Amino acid sequence: MNVDVLIVGAGPSGLYAAYYAGFRGLTTAIIDALPEAGGQVTALYPEKQIYDVAGFPAIKGKDLIEQLVAQAAPFNPHYLLGQQAIGYQALDDGVLVTTASGIAVRAGAVVVTGGIGTFTPRPLPGGDSWVGRGLEYIVPTYLPYAGKDVVVVGGGDSAVDWALGLEGVADSVTLVHRRDEFRAHAHSVKLLQDSSIRVVTPVQPVSLDGSAVLESLTVRHVKSREESVIGCQAVVAALGFTADISPLEAWGLAVQERHIVVDTTMATNLPRVFAAGDITEYDGKVRLISVGFGEAATAVCNAATVIDPTATVFPGHSTEGAPQ
Amino acid sequence: MTYVITSSCVDIKDMSCIEECPVDCIYEGERKLYIQPKECIDCGACEPVCPVDAIYPDRTLPDDRVDDKEDNRAFFYEPLPGRAEPLAAPGGSMKTGPIEADTARTAGLPPNPDAD
Repeated sequence: MNVDVLIVGAGPSGLYAAYYAGFRGLTTAIIDALPEAGGQVTALYPEKQIYDVAGFPAIKGKDLIEQLVAQAAPFNPHYLLGQQAIGYQALDDGVLVTTASGIAVRAGAVVVTGGIGTFTPRPLPGGDSWVGRGLEYIVPTYLPYAGKDVVVVGGGDSAVDWALGLEGVADSVTLVHRRDEFRAHAHSVKLLQDSSIRVVTPVQPVSLDGSAVLESLTVRHVKSREESVIGCQAVVAALGFTADISPLEAWGLAVQERHIVVDTTMATNLPRVFAAGDITEYDGKVRLISVGFGEAATAVCNAATVIDPTATVFPGHSTEGAPQ
Repeated sequence: MTYVITSSCVDIKDMSCIEECPVDCIYEGERKLYIQPKECIDCGACEPVCPVDAIYPDRTLPDDRVDDKEDNRAFFYEPLPGRAEPLAAPGGSMKTGPIEADTARTAGLPPNPDAD
């Protein structure tokens, strides 16, 4: 794939960068490790009201993301969601970024709007060797679980929602959690109580076992320490996500306490690589969505002059023409 | 700015907050959990999931809980009992595992009547 600007991170800053690049007539692709646009807003607080976005006295997280996607849409940014940008290579007239799944994107410039880093599932202790062989961390579709006995581990919304979604598809669904209370939405917990899902609490997973294929999950009671074995052919661990900027650090970016150092043009230490939003670091940095929007525009406009040296940093006013 | 786990967590250690924290900055001490103030990104994901309402932003700590801010700092920046060096910023509790120690102040608190 060949684009003018590659945006790494589909949070608010990245989506606004896509709009801005489009407004400047640049083609874009947006990579994000999560399966949906919105970054932290979608992953952590889609239902929360945000009160400090200019022009919006109050806007719900997911509504802000929806509006940002709509604002960029006329310029057809190419979304590469569920993809992790890992490889970086400087070319004479651009950069080449590759994803973990092997997609190569050639771009005139990159804008890194990676927020707090790549979201990765929190691993199930002792589960490493079973990943992809019976242990999964996300459930994009329920069909592969048809006819199986499935154990879901966790107590949050993902765990409860996936358990509910698997009921009726899987042969049996067991939900295990280390405490008796579930912190998923009250409505989901009510559905859980009325379902055929077997709930086992308060227990901690101890080990996954099987010969060639997964056959069981052993759990230990938190108080009595008594162990029990749950027969299953699939385990889904929904233990939350952590963010990590080390995949970007591996590009050779100058990083200071988990943030990328930029200058006033939002340029990083790497040629043709700019950054914007929560991930940037400079004297006086304020980590707010409003600041990220400004930085995204600065990064894109300065990137434009690197891609085309005859371009000016100032883009002109948006009032001069609405998107076609 | 950072979130702070107050002494309401003592002897409870529910751990829901650890599952929610996107930067893995909540560490397990012997009697309570502690937030690394420099690693915390102030996202607030931990606060609503605490079953005993032990977590507050440092800006809005109740008057009887203000000392807990210093206690969270001390856990990381003063050497804990049995250690020569402070923990400092280890970069994630998945790396360190349980710390199996507390600050002297937390270790000396009376048993929490709310714990079973």
